[in-house]
Amino acid sequence: MTDAAQPVWIDPTDCHYPEAPAREAATNPYLSHQVTWNETRAFKPRMCPVGRLRYYYKWPGHGGALWWRTRYWPTRRRVLQIRGEYNPKTKRREKTIVDKRPIWWALAFLAMILAPAVVPAAGWNTVMSAAAVFGIYAAINLCWMLIIGTAGIFSLASYAVVGAAAYGTTYLAIQLGLPWWLLPLIGALIGLAFGLIIGLPAMRLDGFYYALLTLGVVELCRVYVVQSREFGSATGGIYGAPSYLPASLGQMPRLLFSYYAALALMVFALVVYRFIDGKRLGRVLRMAPEKREAFAQACGVDFVRARIMVFLISSTALGSIGGFYACHFGGASPNLFSFDTVLLSLAMLVIGGIGRSEGAVAGTAIVVFIDRVLIDLGPLRYILIGAIMLGVVLFLREGLFGIKRQFRTWRDKKKSERRATRAEKGGEMLPEEATETEDKDQIYFRRFDKMQRDFLKRLITDAVIEEHRTRPLGQHSEALERLLIYFRRQGQVDKYAIMVLEEFRAYRIVALSGHRGTAPRVVEDRNYASPDEAYHALFLRRVQDLLES
Amino acid sequence: MNWSFVLSNAITLACIYGTLAIGISLTWSSLGLVNMAFGFIFALSGYGAWLASLNISAQPAVVMAAGILTGALGGLIVCLLAFIPIHDKPNFPLRALIATLAISLVGNQALLWYFGPRAKSLPRLFGNWNADIFGVIVTSDKLGASLSAVVLLTLILLWMRSSRRGLEIRAMMMNPHAASIVGIGVRRTGFYVMALTGSLAGLASVLLAQTYYVAPFSGITPLVKGLSIALVGGLGSVPGAVIGAVIIGLNEALTSTLLGGQYVLITQFLLIILVLLVRPRGIAGLLDKAREA
Repeated sequence: MTDAAQPVWIDPTDCHYPEAPAREAATNPYLSHQVTWNETRAFKPRMCPVGRLRYYYKWPGHGGALWWRTRYWPTRRRVLQIRGEYNPKTKRREKTIVDKRPIWWALAFLAMILAPAVVPAAGWNTVMSAAAVFGIYAAINLCWMLIIGTAGIFSLASYAVVGAAAYGTTYLAIQLGLPWWLLPLIGALIGLAFGLIIGLPAMRLDGFYYALLTLGVVELCRVYVVQSREFGSATGGIYGAPSYLPASLGQMPRLLFSYYAALALMVFALVVYRFIDGKRLGRVLRMAPEKREAFAQACGVDFVRARIMVFLISSTALGSIGGFYACHFGGASPNLFSFDTVLLSLAMLVIGGIGRSEGAVAGTAIVVFIDRVLIDLGPLRYILIGAIMLGVVLFLREGLFGIKRQFRTWRDKKKSERRATRAEKGGEMLPEEATETEDKDQIYFRRFDKMQRDFLKRLITDAVIEEHRTRPLGQHSEALERLLIYFRRQGQVDKYAIMVLEEFRAYRIVALSGHRGTAPRVVEDRNYASPDEAYHALFLRRVQDLLES
Repeated sequence: MNWSFVLSNAITLACIYGTLAIGISLTWSSLGLVNMAFGFIFALSGYGAWLASLNISAQPAVVMAAGILTGALGGLIVCLLAFIPIHDKPNFPLRALIATLAISLVGNQALLWYFGPRAKSLPRLFGNWNADIFGVIVTSDKLGASLSAVVLLTLILLWMRSSRRGLEIRAMMMNPHAASIVGIGVRRTGFYVMALTGSLAGLASVLLAQTYYVAPFSGITPLVKGLSIALVGGLGSVPGAVIGAVIIGLNEALTSTLLGGQYVLITQFLLIILVLLVRPRGIAGLLDKAREA
């Protein structure tokens, strides 16, 4: 035992014959049979030095502090939805805000109210009139979002409703001399009537048929308005509606006043959105999403009625916004019906994300900024808007405000992919196979067998093979003994055996069929002169099979 | 009022708009894509034909071929941008619709930016003569437009009936899922279909430019007309599109004769709404099941 690299095995059975020197054979260094077990159970994923768990203490809260909640009148709603949980790392109790959107909304409102203070004086006129347009368009888009997102009616005629109301109210105001505050009310009536007319086909048509039809309605309105004399075909629009601005104001206060009025209109639209989308109608329609209408209907949800209700309410709101539009701009122009307006406002919805109020407002802000503030770009700004729209549609599922969810979905997908690559399979059952097998012992047996084979593969060395060659039968070193026990234990099917052709002359390796009455098959076309040679050849064959498995 | 004049006018327009409608219908039924960028392809191919007539030659064949080829190119661009990247993603029909709208916005503004707002006119392809058919005087451009539209459409429909590619497209129209299972490449067929329908738009553009002009936004009215015809006829049905074109053309002729030109769109949409209320999938559309993309 001088050479540590190549230990020597001494045959222990030779102690029966102490007069002769014990037989010695080179063998493997000791290898614990626990090795493969430990390796299989080891934690192999590569861990980054940054922890996965949040260790810092977010927001103290426990017991009474958690349950103390401000509620606002007249509802029992909380200002913020707060949940108590445990810090995943330190297990300390802490609070977390479930829905942070109210905070963002409050900050956004504050910013919108204070915005005129920071507008540079050079671009005051441009920026403030653009901001007022933003307020009106945001209101329109919120109502439109109710139709597209909540009701799921893909109508492109929302601006047509606004335009019809604006034209109608301006016409009536000129004819009858109405005060400005009547205009939104009359506009609401016109919007309701218009909504009834174009909402009627929506009960029978679905999806794209309706979208294409409404696109046609918009074109119809545009052509009609452009051609009709009483709606100002000559002057490019009809003007002369009363304004809500007090007459005594100067230029700058007028812009400021109209900006805040448009902002108030947007808040009105937000309230409408909140009270339709977040209440009963919205609930009902969320129960019946696209392609699951039949299920909802079977559950007793009258979603067609809910859709039409939402459509009519939104049309009424759009009509009153149209009345306000007439007050704001002093009339209406055929531009409201143009294909480009539809496109731009659809871009506003799509960029923010369909089905969310914050998406409508943010998308409107982006598009109006590009369209009205960056006027120097010329037609290039439409190309910019279109490119943003195309990029959002191609890469984002739910617009800008869906990025978070989409990113998380993607990250989870990547995680599970990596987890799948970490799991090794070698003769082990796949999950689907495992559920199919009757004998569940097989699953564990195969797993054990795989680990055992991994271990035995490491025992095969030249020394072991040499030991077997010199003495196939009798006592062996530990490594060889383990290998032989494993080989002997295999099933009868296709087990190698030695056939005696002629005693002490010719031996041959065959493979047993494993079935009574079926002859063994000949494995190789070679005869061995002695049993030992045959034994060793058979051993090599089995070793080769093991290494290949 | 000259009845024969109105009728011949209506037939010409019906032929041209029917070509567009068949393109829209084919795209929808085989790819599940409502191609709103058709107006852009239309305007683009008009400009292609105009450039060819300026730079290459004003031969009718050259101009027409240039228009058709530019249309096919536009179709391929739309396919590359709006079909290939998202055709297997969630919510494809809506996203594709919006993507084609965005392409239309960008494309039309780019045309406006590059070529300017002034309308261009194409050379007269069919000469300047009149034909007398059963006592009806028909001008050359109308006759030529109708005839060439009918001839080219017939050729394309024959090709779709008899060729291997046409078989693939028709298989996609029947059931895209099953078609992909039996080994018909969805993307490859998408390229064929879009090139084909784009070339149809190019043809319609060249033919319509005989009467009107080529302008950056000239595609929107034909797009709306084509959509209406495809809607009335039923999306996905070629005979339906033909029937729809005839109905819309007749309506246009009758309304402008009896009521006046400004009522054409109103009666047209009342007609469409009426037809769609009776048959929600159009005259020849499949009644029970829409294409589920």
